[in-house]
Amino acid sequence: MATVPLVEKPPAPAVEPPPANPKKSIRSYWRLYAAISPFYLLFLAFGLIPVGFSLYLSFHRWDGLGSMEYAGLSQYKYLLSDTDFWSSIGNTIIIWALATFPMIFLAMVTAVMLNSAVRFKKIYRFAYFLPNVTSVVAVAIIFGSVFSTNFGLVNALLQAVGLDQVAWLNTPWGIKVAIATLMTWQWTGYNAIIFLAGLQTIPGELYEAARVDGAGPIQTFFRITLPMMRPVLLFVLVISTVTGLQSFSEPQVLLQTTANESTFSGGPDHAGRTMVLYFFQQTFDNNDFGYGAAVAWGIFLVVVIFSIINWRLVQRRGED
Amino acid sequence: MRLSRRGLLRAGLAGTAATALGGLASGCAVPTGSTGRNMVLWYWSGGLSDTVVKKAKARYDSSVDLDAIQIGGYYRSKLITTMTGQAHIPDIAGLKGEDMASYLPNADQFIDLRTLGAEKLKSQYLDWKWQQAVAPDGSLIGFPIDVGPVVQYYQPAVYEKAGLASEPDDVSSEMNTWDKFFAAGEQLRKRIPGTYILTDVGSVFEMSIGQGTTRFVDRDKHFIGDGQHVRDCWDRAVEAKRRGIVSDLVAGTPDSISATEKGRLPSQLNASWAAGDLKLQYPKTKGRWRVANCPGGPSNVGGSFLAITKACREPEKAFEIITWLLDADNQAQGFVDAGLFPSTPASYDMKKLREPDPFFGDQITMDVYGPAAEKIPVAFNSPFDVALGQPIRDEIKNVGVLGKDPKKAWRDAMSKCRRIADHLGVSH
Repeated sequence: MATVPLVEKPPAPAVEPPPANPKKSIRSYWRLYAAISPFYLLFLAFGLIPVGFSLYLSFHRWDGLGSMEYAGLSQYKYLLSDTDFWSSIGNTIIIWALATFPMIFLAMVTAVMLNSAVRFKKIYRFAYFLPNVTSVVAVAIIFGSVFSTNFGLVNALLQAVGLDQVAWLNTPWGIKVAIATLMTWQWTGYNAIIFLAGLQTIPGELYEAARVDGAGPIQTFFRITLPMMRPVLLFVLVISTVTGLQSFSEPQVLLQTTANESTFSGGPDHAGRTMVLYFFQQTFDNNDFGYGAAVAWGIFLVVVIFSIINWRLVQRRGED
Repeated sequence: MRLSRRGLLRAGLAGTAATALGGLASGCAVPTGSTGRNMVLWYWSGGLSDTVVKKAKARYDSSVDLDAIQIGGYYRSKLITTMTGQAHIPDIAGLKGEDMASYLPNADQFIDLRTLGAEKLKSQYLDWKWQQAVAPDGSLIGFPIDVGPVVQYYQPAVYEKAGLASEPDDVSSEMNTWDKFFAAGEQLRKRIPGTYILTDVGSVFEMSIGQGTTRFVDRDKHFIGDGQHVRDCWDRAVEAKRRGIVSDLVAGTPDSISATEKGRLPSQLNASWAAGDLKLQYPKTKGRWRVANCPGGPSNVGGSFLAITKACREPEKAFEIITWLLDADNQAQGFVDAGLFPSTPASYDMKKLREPDPFFGDQITMDVYGPAAEKIPVAFNSPFDVALGQPIRDEIKNVGVLGKDPKKAWRDAMSKCRRIADHLGVSH
């Protein structure tokens, strides 16, 4: 904003408004404040106060029912040395990467196809959006069957092409791939719709000009579509980072067993234990609410770091 | 009538304000517990017999309105949130057996049932179960609902084919120790390849722990999970794996369900209430199951309590209701309706509990459950047992499923336990 806009000032109004008493003017707007207050009141009750309380809680030891005991920074000290927490961050990021990059690729392909579809456009859009509004729990149960060792669809396909069975939900990498596949399946359609919206904002003249210049469809895609879609791509990346870092229901339902054990343990070797799953285990299995709060703030920091990275990406884009 | 935009806005605002004020006003008057006639009881689906609850409502109708509410979802967290929030606390609350240890340090939130005359009824209930509700200060915070004696569910046709004992009495006596059970597992696998007596090693570890009187943390808040009693259970689970009698399936997955149906997993070590799950999950296998004793001795999984909270205005009445709900007759009804195994030995001889069960080939299952329930050892459950047992459970799973070196797994479990113990203020 270094340049001064070369716009003439509007002419001064003929009649000066009376010098208003600032206090009075605020009071005279009470209807407006009252009208917007529900959001702030709800945010206060269900957002700000719990957030503040969790910060307070993270400096205490509390079993959820008895009296709290001040613990200073000890919860955070333990958090830093807690290898389980660090490995849960690793799991989350690996699962996120395994889910997000194939998802973006598939969504882009789907969007391009939807964009050029002639018939049944609306039906396709509806069908692709459907996985996103389906309950994660239901989807995870279905995927549990799809990835089961002896009777799963995936292993049936592997065997059909002459490969060996994989115990998907019983090996560390299998678990991660299964969770990532579930997330990919669930978000591809949603992001394809967003990409489609982006594709439709690209002016047709650009494509026309490219065609006149003799560019083929592949060249057009890489030289015109992709660069024009960068803001949309970044948006999709940000959204999938936010959802990916909070993955909880997927591993919880996919890896739960009827055995009498914790549903938050994340399978063998804790391969599917994401950050939020670890938070739940500490808080609700161990009744360690103070440490649970500290873990939650740890998760918050990780999300902040990722947000900064994303923001920097968007910023650099703006400087171009 | 013409509605101006301003008028509409004003009406809307007034309505919102009135609702908000109304909410606030009633918010100020939130009762912490019952007022007068109301008596609120919290439990979960299947936690009590619906028939008995209905009868109780009618029976006490002249003096109180018994409002029995089934709470869905994560029961414990909803209960402690409500109790911490000091509002709408139920008068009578169900407490799940696995959560019991974590309620005991907060015994002051509940009414000591001894002050209401519970001691007089003590002899009618299983002693080990009664002891689980006794807090460190000696107060009694819960009244026993059900117990979960562990038995061996098995498919006799498969055992017979493998040349093993197949009648319940014979199975109970010929597989009464873990060693004999493992030997039977080896024979089973040899005679019918692809058939395993155990689904996973976790059940061996879990049931073995339950057969002992000490667990992971003792009364003095000292970590004892590194002791020989846990090490023996661990070694037993590792041995099961070494002898190749454990499947590589995860219990409850479609794989294990199908394998069980086909007789590839013909045996399950589980609590009495698992009979209900078997009937639901494997309706086609009706008549192909029997019940025998758990190898190595009786053990318990689950079973819950009813407690009276401090917010209750009429503890005497509440106590009268829970003792009626949980007397021997009604506990027998609970078993018939909801598979809740009675904590009152007097129920075991009642006719309706001695009916032949067609799912188990007309076996009278009470002959196995009853004696097992009475012989369960009294063990101390620490509120820290969950946190400090978890690393050991996780590592035995890694041994069983991923084939991790047992020595390294034990070392990893112990170092993790020591770290968690330090964090929780448990000595080691």
